[in-house]
Order: sequence, then structure tokens, then C-alpha cells
Amino acid sequence: MGKLIGYIKQYIAFVKKEWDGYSKNVKIALYIMLFFTAGFFIFAIQILFWGLGYTDMSNMYPFGQWIIGDLGLVGLGGGAFTTGFLLYIFRNDKLEPMISSTVLIGFLCYLFTFVFLVFDIGQPIRAWFIFIYPNWGPGLMPASMLTEVAWCLGFYFMILCVELIPVVLKHKILDAIPVLKYIGHYLHRLMWIFAAGGTFLSFFHQGSLGGGMWDIMYAKASWFRAHHIYFFTVIILATAGGTAFMTLCAYVAGKVMKKEVLPKETFNSIAKVSGIMFTVYLIARLADVILMATAWVPLFDRSYLSNLGGYYGLWMVVLEFIFIAGAIVLLLVPKFREEEKTFRLGIISGVMAMVTTKLHVVLNGSSVPNFPWKGFIGYNPTIQEWFIMLGGLAIMVMIYMWFAKYTPLFPHADSHGHHEGETHAAE
Amino acid sequence: MKKIERKDFLMMGGGAVVGGLTGYVFSGAPFLGLQWLAEWTQDQHVPAAGKEAYLKTLCAACREKCEMSIRMIGDRAVKIESSNSGCPFSQNALQLLYHAERVDAPLKRTGKKGTVKASAFEKVTWEQALADVSKKMNSLIAAKKGNLIAGISKNDNLSAALLDRLVKSAGSGNAFYEPSLAALSQSALGGYVDYDFSNADFILSFGARLMEGWGTACTMNKALVEWKQKGAKLVQADAVCTRTASMADQWLPIKPGTELILAMGIANCLMKKGRAAGGGDWMAVVNAYTPDKVATLTGLKAKQIEDVADAFARARNPIAVAGRGGAGVSSSSAELMAVYALNAMVGSRGALLKKSQGLGEPALSADAAAILKDSKKYAGLDDFIKNGKFEMLFINDADPAYKSVYGADLAAKMENAFVVGIMPLLNDSAMYADYIFPSLSFVESESTAGAAPVKAYEKAIHAGDAIIKLAQKVDAAKDNFKWNSYVDLVKTYGGAVGTGGVNYNAKVLKDSLAALEKTLKASEEFPLALIPTELTFLGDGDGLAFPYVLKTIDDKTYSEGKLWVQINRDTADKHGVSEGERIDIESSRGEIGSVRAHLTDTVAPDAIAIPLGFGHKAYTKYAKKKGVNPKEIMANDIDPLTGAANWWLTRVKIS
Amino acid sequence: MKMKRRWGMAIDLDKCTGCGTCAIACSQENNMPIFEDDSDLPKRVQFLELMKVTNDRDAKYPNVEVCYIPKMCQQCEGNDPKNPKPPCVSVCPVVATDVGDDGVVSQVWSRCIGCRYCQSSCPYEARAFNWWKPKNEGSFQNSLNTDVSIASRGTVVKCQFCSHIWKRERDKAVAKGELDINAVTYTPACVASCPTRAMVFGDLDDPNSELSQLLNKEKNRKFRLVHTIDDKDEKTKEKMMHIKQFPNPKVYYLTSKTWIKEMMKFK
Repeated sequence: MGKLIGYIKQYIAFVKKEWDGYSKNVKIALYIMLFFTAGFFIFAIQILFWGLGYTDMSNMYPFGQWIIGDLGLVGLGGGAFTTGFLLYIFRNDKLEPMISSTVLIGFLCYLFTFVFLVFDIGQPIRAWFIFIYPNWGPGLMPASMLTEVAWCLGFYFMILCVELIPVVLKHKILDAIPVLKYIGHYLHRLMWIFAAGGTFLSFFHQGSLGGGMWDIMYAKASWFRAHHIYFFTVIILATAGGTAFMTLCAYVAGKVMKKEVLPKETFNSIAKVSGIMFTVYLIARLADVILMATAWVPLFDRSYLSNLGGYYGLWMVVLEFIFIAGAIVLLLVPKFREEEKTFRLGIISGVMAMVTTKLHVVLNGSSVPNFPWKGFIGYNPTIQEWFIMLGGLAIMVMIYMWFAKYTPLFPHADSHGHHEGETHAAE
Repeated sequence: MKKIERKDFLMMGGGAVVGGLTGYVFSGAPFLGLQWLAEWTQDQHVPAAGKEAYLKTLCAACREKCEMSIRMIGDRAVKIESSNSGCPFSQNALQLLYHAERVDAPLKRTGKKGTVKASAFEKVTWEQALADVSKKMNSLIAAKKGNLIAGISKNDNLSAALLDRLVKSAGSGNAFYEPSLAALSQSALGGYVDYDFSNADFILSFGARLMEGWGTACTMNKALVEWKQKGAKLVQADAVCTRTASMADQWLPIKPGTELILAMGIANCLMKKGRAAGGGDWMAVVNAYTPDKVATLTGLKAKQIEDVADAFARARNPIAVAGRGGAGVSSSSAELMAVYALNAMVGSRGALLKKSQGLGEPALSADAAAILKDSKKYAGLDDFIKNGKFEMLFINDADPAYKSVYGADLAAKMENAFVVGIMPLLNDSAMYADYIFPSLSFVESESTAGAAPVKAYEKAIHAGDAIIKLAQKVDAAKDNFKWNSYVDLVKTYGGAVGTGGVNYNAKVLKDSLAALEKTLKASEEFPLALIPTELTFLGDGDGLAFPYVLKTIDDKTYSEGKLWVQINRDTADKHGVSEGERIDIESSRGEIGSVRAHLTDTVAPDAIAIPLGFGHKAYTKYAKKKGVNPKEIMANDIDPLTGAANWWLTRVKIS
Repeated sequence: MKMKRRWGMAIDLDKCTGCGTCAIACSQENNMPIFEDDSDLPKRVQFLELMKVTNDRDAKYPNVEVCYIPKMCQQCEGNDPKNPKPPCVSVCPVVATDVGDDGVVSQVWSRCIGCRYCQSSCPYEARAFNWWKPKNEGSFQNSLNTDVSIASRGTVVKCQFCSHIWKRERDKAVAKGELDINAVTYTPACVASCPTRAMVFGDLDDPNSELSQLLNKEKNRKFRLVHTIDDKDEKTKEKMMHIKQFPNPKVYYLTSKTWIKEMMKFK
């Protein structure tokens, strides 16, 4: 017993020492994040035990903030499969230094997608029904997009777990155990198999959660597209926005740690990929909007523009295109890409383009009235929804910070020593 | 045998655990466990099973006497299925029968007045309750203060007649009815108007929202079906586009509160065709209201008025219907007379004046007769509340503290009196009651058709039985109550009889018209007209205690804890009110707030339509503290004949 | 799918006074939960909503009218009645909702995981989610129907045309020795309760049913809620249906007022 207390005391002393080692800014950030995390747990109990009545979702507005979180996280986490695919299958070795960080972000994004889903569905205790009573249609085609999403997400999450193992095994304590070191090494060599499997699965669930889930709702003018057009559009967006997000995370990590986390050519290479994919997405999304306006919405005897009213209307679409254009210009023109300021703006634009799209899909789509005599519906997330959302994100950031500090998430930074302060990722 | 080493032991143990876990998972047991957990955490109620049966009975709620079938599971009534019924309200009967806050035994107040909290009452036996109340009555009568005993009933029905008889036996003339259409007509015309709706071919309605709870809903719905088949014409005058107005063949969008003037205009047109009614003085007043003058006052076109008068005169079976509103009616005596005069002018066979036979005059003791002779008479309920006084008050199913515009005055007077409430649910008036006698819903009532379909709830008994039992303990009254039970009385009771002519009071008409024209002028201070609307099930407040009724309320009447009022778009623009904005409404009597404004062109310019039935202070937790009660600020001028306040039109301002 | 029945409904808005009896009968029959305050319409649990509609979008006082539209699940069937594809059924990840061979879109409370995807895909806002734990407190429990189970918190519930009454009627017929149980007809609670007989229920596939005959007779008065494809000519209709499914509801409304049909269009 005395021994145990000794260990605890030792641990507390260790945490205290670590804490004192943090800079003031990191401490403030941690305080804020811990505050949201506390709220997360308090409101989690409330939501799970007393029901979703505490949210501002309603029978007329059944999808809210958490679904946006799911869409956003999965979309942004899409950078993981794209990077893995480029690295392991296309053998773009320039991306090697960022793969650990990417896999970790992908893992966290998917993990928290599940966490948000636990709150979002009314009966989390019955969530396993999705695997026991799946709504498969004839053949291998799933009848319900959500069935497909759940299965793909489930399997892809397992793959991400496997992909993450080598990263975890590089923790200095685990790395010292020879067996684990070899497992980590060989897993790394086999990773292309998982990357291929992950890409296959991601391809489907990115499309179905981000796009297919919405475009098959044939009775809803705000979402419907024939031929699953949005499905494919969104896959492109996931590759474009996802890579931008992975880059942004690495960039921010470098800024916070004041290290050169990635070599310049890695940033360059991934940014170029993102820029190219955003160009493809621009074309796809333009085609999507034009088809919406001219072909699909008129089938409902409504106009596309009239669906873009309410609080989350036209301005969001315009904003999305501004962000897309920004990402393309700033990431593809070499001059802008090389300049750190514009590079930074470019990847932020990319991430924002993704976020705006997801916000628009859910917020505007749900707010469009179903009956001509009803108005657009407003949605004001309650404090419970905000805390669970922000608390979840805070936990994600803290986990990422832990990995960045205690595992060699950025091997490049370790091998190139410390360049305190003056190093810029893209100089 | 090799010695088992620690390492082997650990591996075997580990293997066993892993194997066991795998087996456990694949056996499906954890999933069953989750399912069980799902059920257990939900704690869902499973309705008790029982033998299914259908009880056939006749609905005794109104005089239509529809066939009714009650679906029973064991001894629980689970559904009312009426066949060929026009009645909406029977569907709600189970909500009252099994209401979670039903009074299950006689209650005696032990705490302070002004609340209906359970802690303020104690449950007593019927013997004790009847003994206490009769003792109080007897002592008042003995002290020659029998005239300070009063009774207020909701409807003109048999149990109300019993209460009248009891109050009168004590030597008091203060037995009143809430101002229902029948009660108002009784005072203004000397009887109620028995309309033959099913045979009418032209119905001219002066603000009577016939399809929204007006009169006997069952009769009206059956009539509607017949009108549709026969092609009868309905002309509706109203300042709000109600459902009745939209269902009508013609809607006369009059200015708020000008029904009486419209009636005068139509009478004027009929007069030109040589029709007359009401005598010389009356017709002299009619003569002044030419179509042009009426057109200016009502906002209609003179041609419209003439055409309607024309069609009304030419119809084979025309009837003109008075009684503005739905369940809550507010029409001045002048208006009731003027509309009835229209029927007389065209010789309508579909609007007959009738009087309920009643129980006959009770025999009074010499003391009682003397007191009754000397005491002041009041024209009606509001007159009594405002000017009268009482030491003991019976409230029979009524809720005057909530429904009367003098509710606050009544509450203050009830604070210092001995009040007995006879009701199934504790309403706003019960906040001041000393005793509560629990009464029944109609499905529990015995009737001439046979025994009650459903067993009476706990210790509740029929209001009529309660009054008879009480009267038999009151010395001055017991000889007037020789029935064994309420059903005993029902069996011997006769129907309604016709009554003589109407006394058309030209002076009241002239005064009313003058007062109305003054009210119609928008003042600087109060530029808007406040008029009431109703939802069928809510009525003027009785429906709000029922959870399933709450589910029928639309979002522009009451939503998310706020009452909505409707304002004409242009008027709202003029006053700077936007959709959904919170406003307060103020009249010369006071202010109510806050309510939300819904801008709609279904309301006349310069008018606000406010739903009745909200703003209860008690009446179960489902009704309490929802919205505001507009009666608090509504006009309170008392009509000389009906003794009721004419609250229909109130001049207000918004802020 | 071989359809045994195709239950449908017609509601005559000219006869509907908007009293709400249908909604109350529905709540009573289907064990609707009881809350202290059900005024929060967006979260209200009910199968039948009474919608108040006016034409004040297009008209000014006094050329306005109001009507009430009782709206329950419209029992959509998609383009092909022989192969019903309601918008809400294919989206359910756990097959908690399905369409039967009687054309009724069913929902199994105890299977539902509460993802609300079906609610999102429903163009008629006909589905309700139990945002709070459904309660039926105190003596209100006495009037609960044993034929309808009480849903859990966090599940979606909906109108099923009172299918359990059909089952009840068929059980009774079987007990009487009736062999062809599908020949049995029934009346849902809302239709049975309507005080003005504005609602008619029946089999759309049976040309002799009261409903089919009524709809045949009332070609000019009938319409369906926000289903504007009905106004197109046959050729356009076919072309449109080639591109996508349309809800094609089995609940019809009848009206002689053009403004109500006009209000079905978005402007």
C-alpha cells in the first residue's frame, strides 16, 4: 500500500514538473481545453441519462451540430487515407515524415466521430443493431447509406488502429522492449496493405456519409441529386480538404513546438496535392451546383435560390467557393506556396472550404421548409451541444499534444535537432 | 509430470480468460445483456392486460344522445368509439375520467386560501363534508342571512336547477349562470333560442363561430354535414377570418365589434321591404340605420348589406344567429334582441324561443320568503360579482374566478366567504374554496339510458347527487328535495316548453348603440381593438387541463411557453411590430404581457386577435401558468339586461 | 411485392372544421406520451398534426381564408405502387421501418436506434422522435391501450394507419371462422372519430371501396400535400419519374378551394 502511494506521489510530482515546463501560452490553452473537457463530461451524463431533449434539435430539425461534427471530422480525417495512399501505393516518399501525424489525426477524427454519434443517436445502447440487423439491399449494395457508413467506419477505424500501433510503439518506454520494436518495424513494412484497404473503405464511406447520405433523400429538395453525383463530389473534397487539414495540423504543431517538424519538400508536396484536388473539386462542385439549380431542384417545382434562404443560405455557398478559389490559387501557384504567409492562408482556406460545405449541407438542408406555409427554421445549439462538441475537440487536441510530446510523431524534427524559434516550416 | 511453473500458470490462466471471453462474445450473451440493459434503463410502462370488451351506451353529454361504445381492457376504459356522432368532445372523456389530478375524495381546506396545493387540503368523508357545509348553511339561514348564500353554475342543466332550488330555498335569489349563450338569451329574451339548424337553408351568423365550439358542437357538426348535402347557405360576419368564416359561403369582414350595427342595417333593409318586428319604438331606432350609415360603421359596402338582407328575406328557411364566440360567448342584450328581431321580421320557423321547464318553484318558509322579497336583485353574474355580497358561495362546475372579467373581484370576495366547489378538477375558483365536492365526467354518470358505463372515480359522485344529499341536511330546503337520487329526478323530469313573445326593449337598444359607437371610435390612447378567438377543444379555458388537447394547439396560438396574438400586417407595420416580437397589451383596466405577435392578414386592420383559454392560475399542472388571461384587461361594462360584462371588444394599445 | 391491400385515405377539407378530434382520438388510441407542457411543437410527440394554413401569403385582408389540414404519415409509396419505396424506409440503417404488403409504412419502436435519418428524409414531417422519456403518469395509465407498445426515449415513432386495429379485426374474424383474413377491413382511430365524416379510409386497389369510388368521383377536388408533380401532364410526369422517385403519398385531400391547392406550391 505504501508503495502504491509512493508511486502516486511520484507520478504527481512528475506531472507537476512537466506542467511547470510548459510555456504560459500552452498553459492557458490547456486551461481552456480542460474547462471544455469538464463540461463535456458533465453534459455527457445529462444527455445520456435524460435524453436529447436538451438539444435544440427537433422533429423539424433532426440533425444538428454533432452531425456536422461527424461530417467534418470524417471529411477532414480523409486526409489520412489520401496521404497513406500517396505514400504507400504511389510511393511518394516525400510524405514519409508526416505519415505518423496523419495517421494519428485520422484515428482521432474517426474516434470522435463515434463519440459524437453516441450522443447523437437516441439509443446508443442499441447501436450494435447496425451490425446485427444491417439494412442491406439486394446484392452487396447497402440499402441504407448509414449502414454502409457504419460498417465502413467500423472497419476503417480498425485499420487506423493497426496503422497507429507503430506510432504508439515508438514511445520511449515501449520502444525499449525488443519484441514490440520488431512488431512495430514489420507492421510498418506491411502498411501498404492497410493503406490499400483503408483507401477502398474510405472511398465508400467518405462518399456515403458526406454525400450519398444526403443526395439519396429523394423527397428533399435541399439535398437530392440524381445519380449519386454528390457522393463522388464529396470524395474529391475529402482528398482535397483532408490533406489541407493534415498539413495545417503539422504546421500548427511546428509553430507550437517551435520546431521544424516537416521538411520543406513534404509541405510542398502535400500542398500541391491538396491544390490539385481542390481544382478537381471546384469543377465537380460547380457542376453539382449547376445541376442542382437547373435539373434537380426544379423537379420539386422549387428554385435552387429559394432553398438558399434562411440563416444559412446563399452566403455559405458563396463563402465556400471563395475558400475553394483561395486554396487553389494559394496552394498551386508556386510563388504563393513558397511564401509562408500565403501558404498558411492557403491551407486554412482549404480546411475552411471543407468546414463551410459541411455546415451548409446540414444547416441549410435541414432549415429548408417542407411546406410552403412554413418558414426557414433557425437552429441555436444549446449549451449542452456546444460543450460536448468543443469538449470533444479539446480532448482530441490534448491527445494529439500528448503524442507530439512523448512519441516521435515527427521523426524529422528529432533527427534535425531543435531549431528554436527561427525555423519556419516552409522557408 | 512436469511441475507447472508460474509462467505456464499465467499463460494457461490468460488463455482461459481469452477463451472464455471469446466464447462469451460469440454466444451472444453480451448483446442480450445490452438489450436487457436498454430495457431496464428505459423503465417503460407496460399497460396491464385484461379481457377486451365493448360497452355500448348512449352518450349523455348533450341532447343528441349519440350511440357510444367504450372499449374496455379489464376494468379500464381505453377508448371511446362513437358511431355516427358529430361530437368532438366525447373523445376527450377518458382524459377527464383518468386525469392524474382528479379530485378523488371530498376536500376540506386546512391551509390558507389562494392555492390548490395538496397540502392546503385534507381529505374528508362525504358525511363530514355534507355535515359541515349543511351546518354552515343552517346557521346562516337561522341568523336570517339566507340571502347571503349564492350559487354559480356553469350551464343551464339539471344539477344547476337543483343548486338554484337549494339557494332559493334558503331565501336567496342569487343563483347565477356563467354567461353562456343560453344564460344570456334567457336574460335578454326570456328564453333560449332553439335553432333548427338542420332544416335551415340560409344561416346568417353574427360572429357566432358555429363550427368552432359554439352551442352544442355535436348538433352543429351534424348540421354542417346536412348543409353541405343540401347546399344551404352560411353567411358569417366576423372581424377575424375564423375557420367558420372560411367555411361560410360568404364572409362579411366587419370592423371589430360591429355585429349589432350590421343587424340594424339588415333590419333597415328588411323594413324597406315592409317587414317589421319589435314595435314602433324599436323600428324607429332601426330606421336610423340606413345601409350607407351601417356601411361606414361596419366597413362593408352598402350593396353587400342590401344583398345579404335580400337573400335572407327570400330564403325559405332563414335563421339569424346571435352569440359572438365559441364556447365563451359575449353578446349584449341589444344584439341578442336585434338578431332575434331579424328572425321575427322574416318569420323564421327555425328560431324558436324556448324555456326549460325547470323544477318548479320551491316552497319557501316564511322567513325565507321575507328575506328574498327584501333583498336586492342582480341582473346577472358579473353584476352580482361587482355589486353583490355573499357569505357562502356554491360553485357548480363553473370557473368564474378565471372566466369572468371580474374574476379578481370575485376572488377577493371569496377570500372572506365560505366557498363550496363542486367539480372534478380543481380550477382557478377552487383556489378560494373551503370545500370541494368531487363530481363526475359524463361517462361515469348514470342516466335514464341505464347504469353508468364506467365505474365512478374513487369517491366522486354526481353533482346532482351531491346537491340533493346536501339539501336533505338543510332544514329550510329538505322538503323541496324529495328525490332519492339524481337519476330519480332525471326520470321524472320533462323537456323544454315554448315561451311567449320577446319584450323588445328599445331604450336598451338605443343606449347600447350609442355606447358601441363611442367605443368604436379609436382613441389616441387606445388605437387598437382587442377581440377574442378560440380553439374548439380549448374553448374559453376548459380544455387546457387535458394533455392530449395541448397536443392539438398550433404553433401560432401557443408555443414554447408563449401565447401568440394575431395582428394585421399593415397595422403591425404602423406600430413597428415585427413577426415573433414580444409585446404587452394594455387597456384602461391594466396590462397583460408578454405575448408574441404573429403578423397575418386574417385579422382586420387595427385589431388584435387573442386566444381565450390561457393564463390559468390553477386547473392542474397542465393548464397552470400557460400564457395570459385576456379577461384581466377586457372591457367590463355590465349589460343592463343580462347582467354580464360585454367583453368582446376592448380598446387597447401595445408596447 | 404482391400487395394484399393498399390502404389509403381521403380527407375532405371542405368538411373539416379543424376541431382536432382526430388528433385526440389518435393520441388516445396510440398511447401518446403525456407531458406537463406539450406546447413545444417542434419536439411534440404526436402522429397527427393539425396544421393551420392561410392564404395570406398571396392575399390581403379581407380576401383571406383559413383551413386546417390534419396531417399524419402520408404513407408514401414511391413511383411504383407494386414495389413501394417510401423515402424513409431505405434510409433506416437497422430496418426498424419497413413497408408492408398492405402499403403501410411501419416502424418498430424497439428496433429503432434513434439516428433520425428517417425524420430527415421525410418530406411531411410526419415522424416524431422521443426527445424525452415518454411518460404516462398516475391514473392516466389507466387509459393505455394494450395493442400499442410504449416507445423508449430516443426512438422515432410514427403513424401506421392504426395497423393494430386491422390485426384486431382480423383476429376477431378468425375467431368467427373467417378464412380470408385479408378481406377484413378496418377504420383507423382518426377516421372513426371525425365528427363531420370528412375522412374516408379504404383500399386504393379495391375499385369498389368507398375510398376508390370517392377519389374517382372527385377528380377535380383531389390533391396531395406539396406533390406538385400531380399537376403535370402524363408525358412530363413519366419523364420526371424516370429521373427520380416521387413520394406518391396514399393520403389524398379534397377541396373545392383553389387557394389551398395554390398554397401547395412554393413561391
